[in-house]
Amino acid sequence: MTGVESPPAGLRVRCRRWLREHVSYAVSEFTAATALVVLFIALSLASPHFLTADNLFNIGSQTAVIAIIAVAQTMVIITKGIDLSVGAVAALAGVVGALVVRDLGFSVWEAAAVAIAVGAAAGLVNGLLVAGAGLPPFIATLGMMSAGRGLVFIVTGAVGVYSLPESFQLLGNGEIAGIPFAVVITAVVALAASCLLSQSRFGQYVYAMGSNLEAARRAGIAVRRNLTAVYVLAGALVGLGGMVAASRVNSGQPNYGIGLELDAIAAAVIGGASLFGGQGRIAGTLIGAFLIALVRNGSVLLGISIHYQQVIVGLIIWAAVYFDQFRRRRLEARG
Amino acid sequence: MAINTRIRSGLAALAALSALTAGACGGVEVRDDSGEGEAGTVDGPLELAVVPKAVGHEFWSTVRAGAECAAELAGDVTVNWDGVSAETDVEGQVNLIQNFVTQDVDGIVYAATDSAALAPATQSALDAGVPVAMIDSGTDPQPDEVPLYATDNRAGAVEAANLLAEALGEGEHDVALIEFQPGSQTNTERVEGFTEGLAQHAGLNLVGQQPSHSDVNEARRVTEDILTANPDLAGIFAANEPSVLGAAQAVEAAGRTGEVVIIGWDAAPDEIAGLRNGQIAALVVQNPFRMGFFGVQNMVEHLQEGAPMESADTGVTFVTPENIDSPEVQAVLEPSCDNPPVDQ
Repeated sequence: MTGVESPPAGLRVRCRRWLREHVSYAVSEFTAATALVVLFIALSLASPHFLTADNLFNIGSQTAVIAIIAVAQTMVIITKGIDLSVGAVAALAGVVGALVVRDLGFSVWEAAAVAIAVGAAAGLVNGLLVAGAGLPPFIATLGMMSAGRGLVFIVTGAVGVYSLPESFQLLGNGEIAGIPFAVVITAVVALAASCLLSQSRFGQYVYAMGSNLEAARRAGIAVRRNLTAVYVLAGALVGLGGMVAASRVNSGQPNYGIGLELDAIAAAVIGGASLFGGQGRIAGTLIGAFLIALVRNGSVLLGISIHYQQVIVGLIIWAAVYFDQFRRRRLEARG
Repeated sequence: MAINTRIRSGLAALAALSALTAGACGGVEVRDDSGEGEAGTVDGPLELAVVPKAVGHEFWSTVRAGAECAAELAGDVTVNWDGVSAETDVEGQVNLIQNFVTQDVDGIVYAATDSAALAPATQSALDAGVPVAMIDSGTDPQPDEVPLYATDNRAGAVEAANLLAEALGEGEHDVALIEFQPGSQTNTERVEGFTEGLAQHAGLNLVGQQPSHSDVNEARRVTEDILTANPDLAGIFAANEPSVLGAAQAVEAAGRTGEVVIIGWDAAPDEIAGLRNGQIAALVVQNPFRMGFFGVQNMVEHLQEGAPMESADTGVTFVTPENIDSPEVQAVLEPSCDNPPVDQ
């Protein structure tokens, strides 16, 4: 995170910045994690059905897809971007994955590869529009959101893709030693992404580009290529997420994922990612995704109407971002 | 403000232009029903426009089959099938209706994408002497001489509650409702119909009500959570195709297939499969074929014999594992013009 993003600075300045960022993450994740734990305990007390093996299994399955897609969103947000197309691209990847199984006899694994490729292709278009053509990420992915959803309706004729073999359900409904397969996939994705962002040179570039694109360019980072790569990678993950979602309901659904982009952005922001770029961690995003899933799960368990659920998620986003900015200003004032 | 005014005057000009076009068309009309409203008899071939809410959906393809079947049986009637590609393209449909009026078709049979926005389009067709019949969704207001051939959603949902009560039998039972799009008219009618029906059965308690937003994943998620919160849940009414599929999957995943009675709506292939393998107890199925058939049939009679068109409920069929293979039900599920599901 340091070293590449700015002209050489004194050791003291660099250390202080390093410390500030790490404290910032720690506080942010600590807050979100505390909220998660408090909510968990509250729900355990409020509903006798909450803390049961079946319900925890369900929560895991329900959170998996949004968590995978929120991981993708986090990478884009760290580069100071945003991806509004994740819902449409997930739906596209899901229906294409279902179609190749139904019409071409692909296996579920081959279908997953196709879905990932579809997502990556959409990500490539996003990336080229942002990094190559210089469109603002908001606009580039807004276009993809619309075009992607249109493609979903074109390839399906706006009818769900049904009559799939039992094996198609593996990714979404299978389990390994009592753990939902989807949760295992999510864990692998999150670990890999976390490792990539924190340990690799590419990860350093991602943060550097988000902190200051011009400085990153001057420091010799191939900005165009690396920024495009972020969108491709995010798209591939979204494709995987879409495939898991389709597998879970054993069908390709044209209406899947409307509003999913907002959940993904909310999860990332609650977890400490900054829409101003340069900040965000996968661990925080996972906490954010679980927080949202718990609110939804708990609301249904307690019989709270959907309208209030949406208000509650909105309040959490406001609280998370407000607290984040408040904390950041204080740290900056000190730093 | 300046921009606003300009847009408004532009719209006014556009409106004036379309009024002019409509008037011009009325002027060159050579049909013998020159009077207003009172349709005379038209001899010779008829050309009808049939416009769905949107093209490309299975539902509307079935409407089309019904319309073309009625045209074929009547003989010498051409059905001009055209529609917008998304149900949300309200303006596109307004333009389409106006274009058909301009083409001076003999009659227009259509389903309104928006009840308020299409009311003027219907009126301008009538003003130009082109009779209109509505299918599936009408306009508000709807002129007296314009009939509506549609499903009575409310009555169908009341009956769904009765079916649920019948399946569950005597005693107290917890039931849940999976609705789809809070705020949409069809959703509201089905929810109100179901709750109205529940009120007739004191033993049924509604313990959960959540929407699926017409997304199977969401339907599955909320049903899983409702099942978790209500271990004694005995029945579910799911009000459209994605809601039914998600609910059935959640019940299956919880290992409670057969214990939890599901009454669904619509007849997608996976719903039929679910009915056959015992996941779903009954399906409320609409009759889109009959909508297209009635629309065209009544329009043709109106044009040829001057008979007034009267609204009709196109009805729903309650499909159960027992009756699914009967000829009557198969006629609704797999409609064809050889055996049209249109007994009146």
